[in-house]
Amino acid sequence: MKDSLVLLGRVPAHPDSRCWFLAWNPTGTLLASCGGDRRVRIWGTEGDNWICKSVLSEGHQRTVRKVAWSPCGNYLASASFDATTCIWKKNQDDFECVTTLEGHENEVKSVAWAPSGNLLATCSRDKSVWVWEVDEEDEYECVSVLNSHTQDVKHVVWHPSQEMLASASYDDTVKLYREEEDDWVCCATLEGHESTVWSLAFDPSGQRLASCSDDRTVRIWRQYLPGNEQGVACSGSDPSWKCICTLSGFHSRTIYDIAWCSLTGALATACGDDAIRVFEEDPGSDPQQPTFSLTAHLPQAHSQDVNCVAWNPKERGLLASCSDDGEMAFWKYQRLEGL
Amino acid sequence: MARDPGTCPRGPTPGRAVPTGFLRPRASPRVWGPGLAARAAQRDKQEPVIAVPSGRPGSGSAESARPSILPSFFTDCIKPMKVEKKLGRGVAKIHIEDDGTYFQDGGTRKLERAKISLDDCLACSGCVTSAETVLITQQSHEELRKILDANKTAAPGQQKLVVISVSPQSSASLAARFQLNPTDTAKKLTAFFKKLGAHYVFDTAFSRNFSLLESQREFVRRFREQASSKQALPMLASACPGWICYAEKTHGSAIIPYISTAKSPQQVMGSLVKDFFAQQQHVTPDKIHHVTVMPCYDKKLEASRPDFFSQEHQTRDVDCVITTGEVFKLLEEEGVSLSELEPAPLDSVFSSVSVQEPTSHRGGGSGGYLEHVFRHAAQELFGIHVDEVTYKPLRNKDFQEVTLESEGRVLLHFAAAYGFRNIQNLVQKLKRGRCPYHYVEVMACPSGCLNGGGQLKAPEMPGKELLQHVERLYSMVRTEAPEDVPGVQELYEHWLHGKDSERASCLLHTSYHAVEKASSGLSIRW
Repeated sequence: MKDSLVLLGRVPAHPDSRCWFLAWNPTGTLLASCGGDRRVRIWGTEGDNWICKSVLSEGHQRTVRKVAWSPCGNYLASASFDATTCIWKKNQDDFECVTTLEGHENEVKSVAWAPSGNLLATCSRDKSVWVWEVDEEDEYECVSVLNSHTQDVKHVVWHPSQEMLASASYDDTVKLYREEEDDWVCCATLEGHESTVWSLAFDPSGQRLASCSDDRTVRIWRQYLPGNEQGVACSGSDPSWKCICTLSGFHSRTIYDIAWCSLTGALATACGDDAIRVFEEDPGSDPQQPTFSLTAHLPQAHSQDVNCVAWNPKERGLLASCSDDGEMAFWKYQRLEGL
Repeated sequence: MARDPGTCPRGPTPGRAVPTGFLRPRASPRVWGPGLAARAAQRDKQEPVIAVPSGRPGSGSAESARPSILPSFFTDCIKPMKVEKKLGRGVAKIHIEDDGTYFQDGGTRKLERAKISLDDCLACSGCVTSAETVLITQQSHEELRKILDANKTAAPGQQKLVVISVSPQSSASLAARFQLNPTDTAKKLTAFFKKLGAHYVFDTAFSRNFSLLESQREFVRRFREQASSKQALPMLASACPGWICYAEKTHGSAIIPYISTAKSPQQVMGSLVKDFFAQQQHVTPDKIHHVTVMPCYDKKLEASRPDFFSQEHQTRDVDCVITTGEVFKLLEEEGVSLSELEPAPLDSVFSSVSVQEPTSHRGGGSGGYLEHVFRHAAQELFGIHVDEVTYKPLRNKDFQEVTLESEGRVLLHFAAAYGFRNIQNLVQKLKRGRCPYHYVEVMACPSGCLNGGGQLKAPEMPGKELLQHVERLYSMVRTEAPEDVPGVQELYEHWLHGKDSERASCLLHTSYHAVEKASSGLSIRW
């Protein structure tokens, strides 16, 4: 299984610091990285090598925890422990900070753009999730402040096609939100994890959501609409979510990140035991009770905790990862035939 | 919508996260001690818990390594508490009963809950978000009972004169609950409080006249000063303490200059009762126990502001604030239904005026500041009489605009911004110099005071429907222009010695204070 994940190269992305997160732009040609050195770096290929094309250094006073590209690829958002979120506008190789979103009381842990491009979500240690709207003049306004979680909110992610938001928290739950009249409301709470939920990923269709946790499991949740064939009860017009699969016994430490490849459906995890793992759904498994198999396990992928894994949106099998050791690594994942 | 006041720091507050109507008063970042700073330094990772000296609630617990003995929903009050240290047998094992009491040493020793008084509370939102969850032993219906009971056995010279001022919003909430009309509610409430031992029961709609009049005049003055003063406009309403606490703590001197200095109706009533009324009754202010009934908990914070404490008489203008919910508890404890009581005649602050029915003001359930300031400004500044004020909702129903136009020009541009998200947007615009309004009525609670966190809930009725019901009852009360209300002009003359007097300025206005940001534990290098 070690052969399924081949190292393509390592880059010291944030030397003497942690590399916290990576994000591919929508065309898969650029990779943004961010870290404890308060910087965001933009990487691109030159031949076989990854070179740093820009350094965004004047944006934040503290660690940059996450970065996210807008669906059009022209903007990059960076979420920082300094309680702000910067919006950078791309102008060829240059990035200019066009606005700073303030309001969270403390560390911003995550930022995500909605597929429509008009909405942005941020979440923070202050337990809240904020939804922002951007207009044609690049003006951002707060649309909603959601206080559903009872603890630090670690991650937010948008549904790939519906205007629905998901958040993961130190309170062991995942929450889902949607717009109702002129405000946003929490429409579902997913309980089951026994510890902090660190990250989330929707599958390409948006019907399923994967969550990873400090309890060392990955859970797959499925959305059931009112009146569904399987007879899953729904309250009112809100869909229900059920945990349809739990992957336990594979990870020996906290799972910090999970990524669901939109091209292949493969699930990659980033773990505190320094390893990267890939899972794939068994062909022919029951959609209501799917089974996943471990198809790649690379111990010592990094010399410290792996913080993030990110599938390239255009190139099949290309996976990027980063670690507390400050390094970024690129991997080629391929299912070995006949095994 | 509201949270019940739990115990600070560690009460059996249920672990639900309920969206509140309030702003979380945002304080300066916490002051960290060494143990807590180690936790601050740990960033995202779960690192081993650092042992922290005892006596500090919230030490090395919930936020970090999740010890099994304490539920994860507890957050820490960082206010250092004096705790009696008892020599134990090593590591203390604490368990929690179903009712939330704490027992140590295998159930043999019941632990005393750490208590924090309102005066100690920094309103730092370090505990379960909002100040109303602080245990307010000095400000609760139990405290009122204590005073009333003490009065029964006290010697004549030692008795307190008990005055209760009821807000029209609390009254409307009770009216909805007991299915009474506003007049009957006011009269029966008067009867109830007097039955308990109160001597006078007033309506804060009366003191609101002064808040409105002062706001009107202040706006006109500031509008005229625009050219010479950069921070004259926009003027921001000041009646909501949730808003004030947030502004002082999170934005300080960037926002404070814009806030109206007019006192809220609660505090004007405080001045009226402890100054004017005390004189009328020939008692010293400290002999009056002034209780107000309010739709929210943040009013308790407002009452304990040092600005509203008289050093001279060593007394607060408002001694105690109880919420509508707490009045309901009192009724339950007495085994009384409000509807059963015989109505009593209404009292009036200005004794030569007899009041047959309560009166109110136009412009919505939060006092009508925008409406009154707008109509007065239109008249005073432009000679335009405005009959009906038209509100235009913007991005959501808690953000509305009002415009005065003449010959294609915009003369006045006002807004009402309720709820945290709208306040955020307003403040950000203001800080960037892009606020297009002359005046903004700012309220912390979505839908305003009628929807305050201390209002009654109806288990059988959805919140929206109940709110509409309360709004209807509130608007049933006959409105009157503040300057026409009997007693108001007389009080300006005889009590304040004129509208522009120093007494008026002193008794009807207040000031705000930026909270000094303690150096953030986040930036200290340990």
